[in-house]
Amino acid sequence: MRVGILGAGFMGKAHLAGWAETGAEIVGLASRTASGAAPLAAQYGAEAFPDLESLLPLVDIVDICTPTHLHYAMTLQAIRAGRHVVCEKPLARTTEQARHMLQAARAAGVRLLPAHVVRFFPQYVNARNQVMAGEIGKPGVIRLLRGFYRPKKPVGNWFLDEEKSGGILMDLMIHDYDYARWIAGEVESVYARKITGYWPEAPVEYGLAILKHRSGALTHAAGAWAYPPPAFRTSLEIFGEGGLLAADAGNDAPVNDLLDMPPAEAPDIGLPVTEQMEDPYTVQIQELYTAILEGRDCRVTAADGLAAVQIAEAAEQSARSGQAIVLDLLPEVTGDAEVEK
Amino acid sequence: MRIGLLSFAHHHSQAYLERLQSIPRVAWIGAADDDAGRGRRLSQAGGAQFFSSFEDLLGQKLDGVIVCAETARRRRAVEMAAAAGVPVLCEVPLATTAADARAMVDACQRAGVALAPAFPLRFSPAIRSFKQDLDAGKLGRPLAFNATNCTAPPLEQRAWYADKALSGGGALAGNAAHLVDLLRWLLGEEAAEVYARTNHIFAGGAYPVESAALEMITFASGVFASLDLSWSRSELASPWSGLKVEMVSERGSILAHALHENVEHFAALDTSGCWLPLGGDLNQAMLAEFTGAIAASRPPAVSGLDGLRAVEVMEAAYHSVEEGQPVEVLRY
Repeated sequence: MRVGILGAGFMGKAHLAGWAETGAEIVGLASRTASGAAPLAAQYGAEAFPDLESLLPLVDIVDICTPTHLHYAMTLQAIRAGRHVVCEKPLARTTEQARHMLQAARAAGVRLLPAHVVRFFPQYVNARNQVMAGEIGKPGVIRLLRGFYRPKKPVGNWFLDEEKSGGILMDLMIHDYDYARWIAGEVESVYARKITGYWPEAPVEYGLAILKHRSGALTHAAGAWAYPPPAFRTSLEIFGEGGLLAADAGNDAPVNDLLDMPPAEAPDIGLPVTEQMEDPYTVQIQELYTAILEGRDCRVTAADGLAAVQIAEAAEQSARSGQAIVLDLLPEVTGDAEVEK
Repeated sequence: MRIGLLSFAHHHSQAYLERLQSIPRVAWIGAADDDAGRGRRLSQAGGAQFFSSFEDLLGQKLDGVIVCAETARRRRAVEMAAAAGVPVLCEVPLATTAADARAMVDACQRAGVALAPAFPLRFSPAIRSFKQDLDAGKLGRPLAFNATNCTAPPLEQRAWYADKALSGGGALAGNAAHLVDLLRWLLGEEAAEVYARTNHIFAGGAYPVESAALEMITFASGVFASLDLSWSRSELASPWSGLKVEMVSERGSILAHALHENVEHFAALDTSGCWLPLGGDLNQAMLAEFTGAIAASRPPAVSGLDGLRAVEVMEAAYHSVEEGQPVEVLRY
């Protein structure tokens, strides 16, 4: 099938490299900041396009790697044109938007798959396999942490524009809400705090969320934009009735770089690098592509993407209001939403 | 100095007895216990003279008393000690209710005797050094904390920890106080509001009290802290190894895995490891400070009010669990 990538930023680049490892034909790369797009597209034997509209007629699949607030309109546009959609997390900026996207994809009979890459990281996959095999019994407490430095971007830093990105409680921590749900099932309530909630001009950001699952399990998620570049940490601990699983990507990294790196050299956004044979971003794209190509199930669904957005929105709402937020049951999530065909 | 130990209900009592023996100024130790069989056995093992009642022990011209009764019975023991004019070191939480804790503070104040809650973390050199740097402004303004005081369920040692009438609750009641005190001490401000969630999943739900607890405290300035108090660790883990504190400040983050300096020892033919702790013993330091304060006629480093504040937060936390929303911390 033919694929077009939308967005030539950090994620667009990562996805492009993944698509190159599939049998898909990379037709084009569309970006408003066209200066970056052309050389990148050429690298993959593709063309640069100024927008989604020009790219759409030429592809079967659109891979949306633009800022969060653009996912909704772009996805609907692609679905209306009868294209399958792969979309970076968060699936959308709001639960409402995500629900429309799901419903539109179903009605049009096209696939919509969110790119929740943590589901493809070896430690996270391995831990889940252990849980599913019953190795630690019923999960009681899940502790997840994801921490980077404050992302730097050129002017128009959309990460820091919370209206567009949802702030740390959505943009960063959605990875862990999705993972927690993958381990312990549906979330019933969310309570969250973040530093910029009480000090908007803080030079660092840190968010904490307590999720209560319907199963009774409790998840503690922590997100940080507070470490010195180029440091990153991600860790998981799953405490079950009969044991504990723990993985710490900061400490378990094959090479621990504690060298002081001048800010200019630090990568734009922290992304964990793994020494595993297969790059998780590549494995992800391969699986999503195969799912679309062969009409098969995938380890993540649009309903998962929607559920994660719902938790993230609730976390933001909690931090704003100071209250715990109880989640509504979404039929798209609780119903037969396993297979998006 | 003559020291009395009121009850062996709390499992730390045995360690306290052992440590007291190596404090030179302590010349004589007596003990009493509602459970006479346990009391006699542990007194003999620890080198204390056993008395069959708290009254008898308190009649022995004591210089200080250490209360290790079940949580719900600490008020009675402390009030008796106050009536006898003897300063008290009391296990935490001081009581199962803030009203009881307030009564204990008042009783000791009226009697003019010190009431010291047993918060050994205040005596950790690493933590003291951390606080020094914090107070000196070297670490930046504290903004948020991610803290854990996770332990194994203490029930192998004493069954009463799972009896709510005696313990006040499970993991939250057992583990929160130390972290709450630590945070109050580091920040120098009071908790304003608490949110807490619990579950009963560990050990297949066998315990009638909660075995997992997560709290989030918001302080008056807006600083927030999460506390994981769960009984989620194994007995094989080293003592205090479940104590971790990440502090985020305007300068970045500091992760303290306090009291983690151990040598891990695995005997070749033995599949279970054990820990050989390095560094000073916190209980020793705490007891030395308590007895030293008595000898010097000065107030102990940690006050009854500190103990009361921790109980207030605990009470609010349990209310929050019931209501599913954050609850304001009430002061008594």
